[in-house]
Amino acid sequence: MAFPLYAGVYLQHTATIILTYLCLALSWDMLVRTGQISFGVAGFFGIGAYSAALTALNLKLDPLLSIAVGGLAAMAAALVLGLTTLQLRGMYFAITTLALTEIFRVIVRNLPGLTGGPEGTVLPSAIFDGDPTKTYWLLLAIALVTIAISEAFQRTRVYFAITSIRHDEMVARSSGLDIFKYAVFVFAVTSAIQGIVGASFAQQYAFVSPEGTFDIDFTLLPIAMCLLGGMHSTLGPIIGALVLGSVAEYLKLQLPYGHLLVYGAVITLVILLMPQGVAGKMKEQFVREQ
Amino acid sequence: MLAVRGIDNYYGKLHVLRALTIEVGRESVGLFGPNGAGKTTLINAIMGLARPARGEIVFEGRSLLGLAPHQIAHLGIALVPQERELFPLMAVKGNLESGAAHIPAAREKMKSTMEFVFELFPILKQRLGQPAGTLSGGEQRMLAIGRALMANPKLIILDEPSLGLQPSVVTHLFGTLKEIKQKASILLAEQNVRQSLKAIDRGYVLENGEIALEGDAASLAGNEHVKRSYLGL
Repeated sequence: MAFPLYAGVYLQHTATIILTYLCLALSWDMLVRTGQISFGVAGFFGIGAYSAALTALNLKLDPLLSIAVGGLAAMAAALVLGLTTLQLRGMYFAITTLALTEIFRVIVRNLPGLTGGPEGTVLPSAIFDGDPTKTYWLLLAIALVTIAISEAFQRTRVYFAITSIRHDEMVARSSGLDIFKYAVFVFAVTSAIQGIVGASFAQQYAFVSPEGTFDIDFTLLPIAMCLLGGMHSTLGPIIGALVLGSVAEYLKLQLPYGHLLVYGAVITLVILLMPQGVAGKMKEQFVREQ
Repeated sequence: MLAVRGIDNYYGKLHVLRALTIEVGRESVGLFGPNGAGKTTLINAIMGLARPARGEIVFEGRSLLGLAPHQIAHLGIALVPQERELFPLMAVKGNLESGAAHIPAAREKMKSTMEFVFELFPILKQRLGQPAGTLSGGEQRMLAIGRALMANPKLIILDEPSLGLQPSVVTHLFGTLKEIKQKASILLAEQNVRQSLKAIDRGYVLENGEIALEGDAASLAGNEHVKRSYLGL
């Protein structure tokens, strides 16, 4: 974790990107544990990014404070969306979140006065004046908090709640669980994380644009990472993000856009050979050896 | 304790329960009938999973109509659903804890209730760290009942617990109902009438959504219709 002190700027920046995806992957997985699949990661990422950029620019908010605002904005959006759509779970919810990213992209593109429209908005300066070491520490802190929340979800009675909602809603209800309340709660928390990550991304590059910020990659790559690493655990998405993040970065240098081929191949192979992911495979091996 | 008075339930236009009335006191009550008679629908109505069009359901003086299933569970009704419905990858211990985790009154007594479950089903104590999916069919059913008991219910509803189990396991399982009755009232929906009649105080026979017969275990066992249709005599 402390390696950036010795590594160069390039490695620090790569590590920051991997941590960004790690947070997105882990937060996506936390919602999947309740059985709800969200395709709206890029949407909340973008809401966080734009809220942070616009409040920093127009209200002269401190960059760190604006990142918190980004998280709150994403959480508020998730609450509104969750309270209206999480009564219908599963596929209905997934489709709604799929539309979310597009809707916000269109809104942002068509409000040039506020958001800069299709050209986006440039901030006068990046956070920490562009210091890559400090940016790395910021993302590391966000990642550690995300990991802590994920572990809390696995170790407290929230775990029983989300697991029983995923497995069987009827059992969950008749064990005294308010499914709707829990689903909205987890959705709001995970969206807030995605908003904070998006906000840090905007502050880091001092730039937001409809295409770059609401990029579908912010939804698809975290999902690929979870599939690779293994879902329903803290370890799985972390492994997935580290492996896929490093491999992708290396391949980008070797052959442009080659990383996309690798994503496709990795996902296909994982689904065919070990549908439970790397972490799931390791756990299985561990149980067998006991 | 529980009174269901004149409820009608529909699935679309299909009239599933017709002016159905049953009562469960501090006792164990059987609910018998063939497939499609409405046993599970009645249970779903009590649990708040299906809404009756008419009638009332009262538990300890409180109407259950309009309450959500989790609120009904909080009042002290626990359900062992048809089929096992466990969390197969979760350890036995986790499955048991999940029964109590979201009911405030049960959470405090988690330890002592778990001891009671182990007294009933000692095998579960040996299997504590094992994933529930690796248990045998009979053990899984015991675990499902154990999980419902963890909620410390005043009334426990069992929906066809004998389904898919070998006869010796069924006998053992129904034998434990007498001990469970010390703690909670029991509503037992079953097709295995012969075994059930040994385990219950009173019973109802449900046919086409109506009560065809009711009486204590002895009188049901002696009834010609029950003998012919359910006991194969």
